[in-house]
Amino acid sequence: MTTFYLTVIHRPEMVPEYLQKEAEEGKAEDLGRNEVIRESLDIFRTQQRIAHDNGIRTTIQMTYASLFNDEAVALAREHHATYGDEIGSTFLGIQCAQFREKFHSKELAIWLFSMEDKRLIVDEVFGKFEEVFGFLPTSTGSYYMDAELVNYIKEQYPQVKAAVATCWEEGPKAYHNANNSWYTLLDGGPWNPWIPSKRNIHCPAADEADDIGIVAIPHLSRDLMAVFDGPGSYYGTHPQNILRGMVYEDREVPYFMNLVDQYRAMAKYNRGYAYNMMFVGPGWMSKTGRWEADYDFLLKSYEDGMAYYGRLKREGLAVDLTMSEFADAYRADRPYTRPECTLWKDVLYGSKRQQFWFADPWMRFCLDMNLGGAMIDLRPYAAKLIRPCGVGTAHIQDASYPFIIQSMYRAGYFTHYAGEGAVKSCKFGHAGEEVDLCACRTHASFSEEGDVRVVTLDPVEVEFEKFTIRVQSTFRLTEGTGEVEIVRRILGTTDPAAEVSIDEYATACYGTTEYPEDLTGVRLTLKGRSATESIDYAYRCREAYVEGVEVAEALVPQVDTRLSVRSDSADATGYLREGMAFSPMYTLGIKKTVKGVGELRTWLKVEKAS
Amino acid sequence: MAQGRKGKLNYRCPRCLMREIDMDMLFDSEKGEYYCLRCSFVGPESEVQRLNAQFRAKYLDRAVRITGF
Repeated sequence: MTTFYLTVIHRPEMVPEYLQKEAEEGKAEDLGRNEVIRESLDIFRTQQRIAHDNGIRTTIQMTYASLFNDEAVALAREHHATYGDEIGSTFLGIQCAQFREKFHSKELAIWLFSMEDKRLIVDEVFGKFEEVFGFLPTSTGSYYMDAELVNYIKEQYPQVKAAVATCWEEGPKAYHNANNSWYTLLDGGPWNPWIPSKRNIHCPAADEADDIGIVAIPHLSRDLMAVFDGPGSYYGTHPQNILRGMVYEDREVPYFMNLVDQYRAMAKYNRGYAYNMMFVGPGWMSKTGRWEADYDFLLKSYEDGMAYYGRLKREGLAVDLTMSEFADAYRADRPYTRPECTLWKDVLYGSKRQQFWFADPWMRFCLDMNLGGAMIDLRPYAAKLIRPCGVGTAHIQDASYPFIIQSMYRAGYFTHYAGEGAVKSCKFGHAGEEVDLCACRTHASFSEEGDVRVVTLDPVEVEFEKFTIRVQSTFRLTEGTGEVEIVRRILGTTDPAAEVSIDEYATACYGTTEYPEDLTGVRLTLKGRSATESIDYAYRCREAYVEGVEVAEALVPQVDTRLSVRSDSADATGYLREGMAFSPMYTLGIKKTVKGVGELRTWLKVEKAS
Repeated sequence: MAQGRKGKLNYRCPRCLMREIDMDMLFDSEKGEYYCLRCSFVGPESEVQRLNAQFRAKYLDRAVRITGF
């Protein structure tokens, strides 16, 4: 039994930023510009009509500005009564004459205000909503809702049960894509709904005490491969995003349906549950056209997308829920420790590449089968970092959850002639030769053994000068342990007498952007049965080795994280490698030698250090 | 030189697009050409469209319906 949930959200945004920009060309700013409000409402009405024509119910997220517009309010009431749409609230679209008068600010992002202003704005927005509709909303959202903001909302308005809380992997890539002018620096969260921690919105809650009290929904269901290394606003189940990315031919956009179907397929990895959402603001369907697409194409792409949702619903393959209904359904079958898993396949570049994504209360990580199953992203959710954002905080705009491995931002396997990049992989060696599995492209399959999710990679051939070995990698993920068990097995060899070293390593750092951070204060430690070695990071390229190693670990106080790798092998050697300023990384490794065939089994763990 | 204005569609600079930067161009009506404020691209609409088609070419599956997951 599988269930594919669908959430469609519309917002009557009175002054969408793109429409306003176009209308303003050559004119002074006017937030009450009548033609913009008129057009925006028309687009909202059109979006609602398209959804309803296809039998899809929506969540209408009223913007603060729309609460002052009688027509928008009347439409919401009518559609709630006629179609069963939910009337919710959003912190997008707060800017209007009334907001300016009250708050004297042009800030448009709720998460970037000071905490004091956030509280005042929440009270004003929810108060106005209640005054207009006679009840309080049970769903809300923005591009980002920090934990501090949501904690305040839950304290004052406990009926709120759902929020659009982050934009998946909208961070430095989105900033660059927008000519360094779009401040949604929000990398590091889950790609599908989750119950957030009270301490950090990106992290899934570990238990009831840690539960923030809402179900978080990411803003858009995005292409997990393309958006990890490209603009978030090109590749997702947002038809006009796809037009922005120009993923079409002859005005046809099969990519939208391919994405929806891949999200449907996530039921295979998540106990029969799958989810998809669409959330298009009116500014994306401007009558004057947008992203090299005229209005007819913008409209057609929306109609086609919604028609596909409608078809799935009619065929019994999708269940359309409003945000609050979805929150109830999600909580009804979601133990805190259950991970979200996805074996994502390329549906864009024709490469057959696969990536495996995993998120639970301990970590988020990604394995790239193009790199032999190397771990190319690792976020230590176990640290549950309290990391407020907005004016008056240490980070202001940088709301991303830190990584300790991110191969796109910090090089990964390939570096330019010097140093190392952030990646977790395995090397095989013989008599001075060394082959990294990063060079062995493969594919993977997913299976379950009770509470263990298993990612099994197709075997690869590792070629040495005089012989070849056949190697298989397996990743075993036992629910509720916060550990990744990694098995590297030599299945066969053309020279049974040859000795081969198996070197499981993690080269890591920490940060939220492409730019290096200071590693001073990081402590690397090896613990063996008879010896212990430590290095306090000082960019001096030191190395340490311990035979009979039990655990190799890095304590990274900057992100309150302990990263460790342990082995059950009695004859493994552990090693540490300190980097240098030109290669600001640290490496933990466990190595053993086998003759002919054999395996190395290790466990990677991330924990809160303090 | 005439004042640059938005064209009939908001054409982004095709050269900046190649490096995934969305940079709107301005249109010089006297010369009938678009120009980029960032990278010095200049060209008529036909050149913009030619380069946009080149940009799309990287998506080998852009016209393919994929159903096997």
